[in-house]
Amino acid sequence: MEAALLTDRAQTLERIYAKTYPMVRHYVREHGGSDDDAKDLVQEALITYYEKVVFEQLTLTASVTTYLMGICKNLWRQELAKRARQTALTDTHADLAEDPTPDAEPPTASLMAFVEQLGETCKSILVSFYYFGQRLEQIATEHGYRSVRSATVQKFKCLERLRRAVSHLTIEQFKS
Amino acid sequence: MRPLLEEVHLLEAYAEGTLPEEQQLDVAVRLLWDRDLQQKLAGQQLAYRALRLFGRRQLRAELEAIHVRLFG
Repeated sequence: MEAALLTDRAQTLERIYAKTYPMVRHYVREHGGSDDDAKDLVQEALITYYEKVVFEQLTLTASVTTYLMGICKNLWRQELAKRARQTALTDTHADLAEDPTPDAEPPTASLMAFVEQLGETCKSILVSFYYFGQRLEQIATEHGYRSVRSATVQKFKCLERLRRAVSHLTIEQFKS
Repeated sequence: MRPLLEEVHLLEAYAEGTLPEEQQLDVAVRLLWDRDLQQKLAGQQLAYRALRLFGRRQLRAELEAIHVRLFG
């Protein structure tokens, strides 16, 4: 399953989604939530699962739906607790629910803008490799490179461009 | 590969901790005094973070499209 997830993401995700969403919806409806809540949970759980497969080499021994159901139930318990706390806070007129932590790190939006500015080929190669965990063989084929080696060189060229762009951001921050 | 790209490659392997022990140590020592290399490593790590954020947003959009197709 994990291998198919990386090589054929679109179809594999759709298959998992089709099976999992109705189960989660059923559970959430019975526990005081809406269909939209169920959708948010399933998507969050799938992102967690995907990232664990790519970045932590997760291999499931149980079925993927069981695993995702477990994540969703946990998330839903946390969400209900959060909503209960918020209601309690509103009741006592305490409106400082969020503590404003100063953010020294570069903002998410500007970091993503640098990726956006790379142009289609670089963007696609880098995101496929570094986020979606695709093998360079597949990336080479899909982007029409003659060899894995030329795809590798292109990948590092693109990464270097992105590195230069974001470095500019860190230097600008130090100036101000 | 050009020397600049070799260096990108080297820093990537260093950040992943996949270099042979001696080479890993060699880069670590260079990073102690080489400010230029320190900045390049910092920039590269920021680039990886940018890609992760961007990828996550794309995955979220793909899941939303699946939802609309199947249950929307």
